[in-house]
Amino acid sequence: MAAIVPAIFVVVFIIAAAKRVNVFSSFCGGAKEGMLFTLRLTPILAGVFIMCELAESSGLADAVTRAASPLTRLLGMPEEITRLAIIKPFSGSGSLSLLTELLKEYGADSYQGRCACVIYASSETVFYVAALYFAGTNRKERALPLAIVILSAALSAVLSCLLCRIM
Amino acid sequence: MNIIFCAVMIAGGAIMCAVSPDGFLTALLRGTEKAASSTLTLGCIYALWTGLTQVADDAGVNAAIAKGLSPICRRLFATKSAEGAHAAALNLSCNIFGLGGAATPFGLKASALFDGEGNVYGRNMLFILNACSVQLVPSTVIALRASAGSASPADVFLPALICTAVCTGAAAVSYALLSRKRKCPKWRR
Repeated sequence: MAAIVPAIFVVVFIIAAAKRVNVFSSFCGGAKEGMLFTLRLTPILAGVFIMCELAESSGLADAVTRAASPLTRLLGMPEEITRLAIIKPFSGSGSLSLLTELLKEYGADSYQGRCACVIYASSETVFYVAALYFAGTNRKERALPLAIVILSAALSAVLSCLLCRIM
Repeated sequence: MNIIFCAVMIAGGAIMCAVSPDGFLTALLRGTEKAASSTLTLGCIYALWTGLTQVADDAGVNAAIAKGLSPICRRLFATKSAEGAHAAALNLSCNIFGLGGAATPFGLKASALFDGEGNVYGRNMLFILNACSVQLVPSTVIALRASAGSASPADVFLPALICTAVCTGAAAVSYALLSRKRKCPKWRR
């Protein structure tokens, strides 16, 4: 698996060289376009990241976890796992450190540990992805896909716990 | 996004006022700092991959890949733009193989192209697929489990795959159905 990336580069460069493309200037042209594009993303990222930081450090994420705990217990999700499922959409690094802690505390092969791993693996940092994909595009119809994605993340958290029970 | 942003900022701000007013600015600044640093990281990744794509483009490699994958993507995203369908195809294949960093530039390119042709449906569908994590092998988690002393680090592979497939499928299908119900946009005819 790890060899895929270098292999892609080698193959592309060989083909390009064989076709007598000016590889260096072509590469720089592409890189320039990429750099300029990311600059346009910065303001949107700033907005999303301050929101995520605030949600985490104000304890809002914990409050939501506690508020949701009767429901999640009913669905068979331990509370620590709910916390992970709630933080994951906001913060990639936050959820990664939480997952590391969970694995240390419960052990990697425990129900909690495996459950946390499946949740982490099968969900994305939704708000970050939303910021990226909606940056600089027209504002029409963003609410529906975002709602669907959030629901799907919730479904994935519940399903992860169920699957870990059976498998 | 606006509603969530307002809700989190107001509720979070209010809690911070009550609990630790000193921590408020620190938290927000940490957020903007992260934005700056991830712009840099993203810019580096993006520059690298758009550079490579440009080379591949000039060498005609892209055209060959696009020929194979684009028809599916054209249907999936209801797009007429060959370039957009092609970028989306690359985005999905990178995602599936777990090359998240490489997937993003292609995804953003496709997203901008779809948006440019007024195809909100395609842009949203692409966002949904990306936000639901379509990944074949969860390599980070497996590595983490191995380092935490798991007896079989890879045994989450199957549940994670099923979970991802079900949720991504559900999200994509429900979006397709819901947006069809609301109106039949002209790019579909």
